[in-house]
Amino acid sequence: MNHFTKWAAAAALATAGSAALAEGLFTPNLSYRTGPFAATGIPLMNGQADYMNMLNARDGGIGGVMIDFEECETGYSTEKGVECYEKTKGKAIVTQPWSTGITLQVLPKTNVDEIPILAPGYGFSPMMDGKTFQWAFNTPAGYWDAADMIVQYLEGQGSLDGKKIAFLHLDHPYGKEPLPLLERMAEEKGFELVPIPVGLKEMQNQSAQWLQIRRERPDYVVMWGWGAMNAGAITEAVKTKFPMENMVGVWWAGHDADLKIVGEDGKGYKSISWSFPNLDAPVVADIKTHVVDAGNSKSNEEEMAGVFYNRGIIISAILAEGIRMAQQEFDTGEIDASQLRWGLENIDMTEARISELGLDGMVPPFKTSCADHTGKSGGWMLEWDGEKFVKVSDHLTPNTEAYEALVAEKAAEYAEANAPWPVNDACEM
Amino acid sequence: MLTEIFITPFADMVAAPDFLMQVLWEGLVSGILYALIALGFVLIFRSSRIFNFAQGIMVVFAALTLVGLYAMGVPAWIAVGLTLVVMFILAVSIERIVLRPLVGQPDIILFMATIGITLFLIGLGEIIFGGENKVMITEELGIPTGDTVLEPWDGLLILQHLDITVVVVATLLVAALLAFLNYTQMGRAIRALGDDHQAALSVGISLQTVWVLVWFIAGIIALVTGIAWGARAGVSFALEVIAYKALPVLMLGGLESITGAIIGGLMIGILEKLFEIYWGQPLLGGNTETWFAFVLALVVLLFRPQGLFGERIIERV
Repeated sequence: MNHFTKWAAAAALATAGSAALAEGLFTPNLSYRTGPFAATGIPLMNGQADYMNMLNARDGGIGGVMIDFEECETGYSTEKGVECYEKTKGKAIVTQPWSTGITLQVLPKTNVDEIPILAPGYGFSPMMDGKTFQWAFNTPAGYWDAADMIVQYLEGQGSLDGKKIAFLHLDHPYGKEPLPLLERMAEEKGFELVPIPVGLKEMQNQSAQWLQIRRERPDYVVMWGWGAMNAGAITEAVKTKFPMENMVGVWWAGHDADLKIVGEDGKGYKSISWSFPNLDAPVVADIKTHVVDAGNSKSNEEEMAGVFYNRGIIISAILAEGIRMAQQEFDTGEIDASQLRWGLENIDMTEARISELGLDGMVPPFKTSCADHTGKSGGWMLEWDGEKFVKVSDHLTPNTEAYEALVAEKAAEYAEANAPWPVNDACEM
Repeated sequence: MLTEIFITPFADMVAAPDFLMQVLWEGLVSGILYALIALGFVLIFRSSRIFNFAQGIMVVFAALTLVGLYAMGVPAWIAVGLTLVVMFILAVSIERIVLRPLVGQPDIILFMATIGITLFLIGLGEIIFGGENKVMITEELGIPTGDTVLEPWDGLLILQHLDITVVVVATLLVAALLAFLNYTQMGRAIRALGDDHQAALSVGISLQTVWVLVWFIAGIIALVTGIAWGARAGVSFALEVIAYKALPVLMLGGLESITGAIIGGLMIGILEKLFEIYWGQPLLGGNTETWFAFVLALVVLLFRPQGLFGERIIERV
């Protein structure tokens, strides 16, 4: 055997070996454990991975088929994210892009490749229109739901007519996502919206943005931050003595580690959230028994008590439920991507089902359909009490009827700009 | 429109002088921090003609080492000492493993080597410390964290004690550095190497020793910068991005000039803040800080390609 043949044989063996190891349902996660946004990514990725590992260890996967949960590191870079998508799409039954920028890039590709995008709580807001975005799911809530619930909550504190709201956001597709709805709501409700962008290089030095806030004297600051921007903003808010109780963040701006930097000074800061940690939930105990105690978790006790780790659990639970629904419908364990799409469109997460899954109190009920890819879970307003986030509201639900027309308009605009765009004609709205 | 550009901003400054003072103070603090990062670049460039791409990650690495050691139970100030030891070992390793084998290679090769160092330190840092945001041990180091509220012109001026400390420490550090470079034998050796490699080597100056020394000094600067920035918004790999803010400072001040780094940093810190507040936010929707410094530096380069304080290179053929 010559040198080349030896190498070829070794490569063939290695390929066969990895294929054998990778048996199961391939559910890649385009993770970001490195780079400027790693602080946000790590607990989320750990929660996702721990839940899937728990299912594999406790139940032997889902429906008797193991979950092949693989991460492809993007560092939150859109270019790397697209590379990861291309690398994993071959045998993937789902893609989890983890950034609005990456989601927007892979959105047209998934129509051709017929792979569902699962973007829980992020991505392009009109993705909630399942008829137009048949392969994309921002279950259980989208950014416009978040913006609507935040404005509803602020309205609950008193009329917004004549008030001023500063919208502090990352200067990135993610940060700009709720602007169309907020601008419309400002007109309707009579408040002044002051958009304040934060560049990627300015995330940790937001003195200019907070000087603007001081000059504008807004009644509220609504924050759409990610990664290091959150800690930077909250530190500046404390420094400039902005009343914390008048600052509300989206669910990605409600990370315990960001608030721990300011501790007691951050008391009163709020964040809307569709997930909440319940350390007494049975799923947490199962993860401890089957993953943590077995030494297979990358997390730690402090992180596991936080909002983001537990949101990671919920994200994987949503995917697992979609897989289960598809397995039941098509009577097979080894479902494919299009069958998973059906599963994700038919999730009915009732209180009873949430309890059955051991997720009590961790996520509100929601129900998806071919027309509704978010499921309208709504959420809770959380507040930082100096040490941890606590719930300070009942279950809030978005007033989706108020922006259905905007969703339809933006979805149609997107489809037209990306024509020919396939629409799910079989779906009744 | 012309009124909004030429009249309104100045009228706003006069109408709210306390706010103008706050803008200038914030600009000064940012500028000093930019100058600190730029100094790390300049020192290494002066002595070796290497543009050190790794300066940003050195800031992160130093800060992570400090908080990591403290988390392991090492008392704060001993952790500072041990971090300096780590930065010294890093300087020696870089000189031995990376730079020494590349002596005599074109500048671009050495520059590429510093990109390699960056990637290595990112990986090493993530393996050892993880990517989570960490809290800087500000109080444990005795750095004051309160504020002083002044009311000039019946207005409001908030001076963070942390920022005051940063300004004082950075000023002392720069003064000490200038004294070291001007009045010590080793400092003069660094300057000699920067002026003429061949001549410096011919009088017995050790290239290796000087390189270790400048990388170690850059490490000290990185630690101070890391503490200052980390105390503001936590310690994470996002700090590395801040190093890019030093690039226009270097373009403006000149790559070889310590004075240029300081004045360039202060100019950019103050001017970008003034522009953002009085012109950028009202007229351009804000976030002009991401590009203003580069435009300013490019305008200067049009008239002085070597920067404000850089040396004009004349090559005779």
